[in-house]
Amino acid sequence: MSHNPSQLLPSELIDRCIGSKIWVIMKGDKELVGTLKGFDVYVNMVLEDVTEYEITPEGRRITKLDQILLNGNNIAILVPGGSPDPE
Amino acid sequence: MAEEESAVKEPLDLIRLSLEERIYVKLRSDRELRGKLHAYDQHLNMILGDVEEVVTTVEIDDETYEEIVRTTRRTVPFLFVRGDGVILVSPPLRSV
Amino acid sequence: MSTAAGEKSSGGGSVKTPADFLKSIRGRPVVVKLNSGVDYRGILACLDGYMNIAMEQTEEYVNGQLKNKYGDAFIRGNNVLYISTTKKSSPEVSGNST
Repeated sequence: MSHNPSQLLPSELIDRCIGSKIWVIMKGDKELVGTLKGFDVYVNMVLEDVTEYEITPEGRRITKLDQILLNGNNIAILVPGGSPDPE
Repeated sequence: MAEEESAVKEPLDLIRLSLEERIYVKLRSDRELRGKLHAYDQHLNMILGDVEEVVTTVEIDDETYEEIVRTTRRTVPFLFVRGDGVILVSPPLRSV
Repeated sequence: MSTAAGEKSSGGGSVKTPADFLKSIRGRPVVVKLNSGVDYRGILACLDGYMNIAMEQTEEYVNGQLKNKYGDAFIRGNNVLYISTTKKSSPEVSGNST
């Protein structure tokens, strides 16, 4: 299974993440990590077993969520498999 | 009553059912309106009558650094709300 | 080899598109988080393609504190960050099923 990364469409890359962990960095001070279940043409995403990281003046706030539909509107960066937490 | 509830098939139906009723509108930049809904469109542009506007501001006291929450109220007989500023609309409390 | 975003199978471990998710959560308790950080908890009545949402028995939380209650609420979709199913037992919030 060899492939040329330059011929991989962005949507195909996201499609390959289905069933795996994905790190979502939003515009602004929010990040989420979860298992990608699916997405649509707007890159709205269904994520499972989500950890949400918010940077607030009081420090980093962590929220755990079962299953979410994330609005694709404010997504900046997607990192397959990655996580901001070293633990 | 059950018939009216089943009429909510899409979110905008909730607004439609509030026509000619007093509603609560939460807007960006800490603005709240209460008024009678005369008209609306799919963008949530709205025409309200007999409106009370409440603007909430938080100031920091120069000396004590305490937060001072101020609310400013005014009434407007008739106004147009541009939909893009709307966060939330709530119809009058129906008996639950 | 056959995993595609459009695949419409249900069940554990399979693809679940946003459309599948929306179908599955009607009438269920949800948390809607806005870009501003405000949370709305309530029963999802319905929603549309703009992520406009109609909710019942809605509670508004600012910084985790209950600020308001609404019998019915319409939330304009452009403010929505995410829609979440409420966890039956959250590790953050203690208080188990009754």
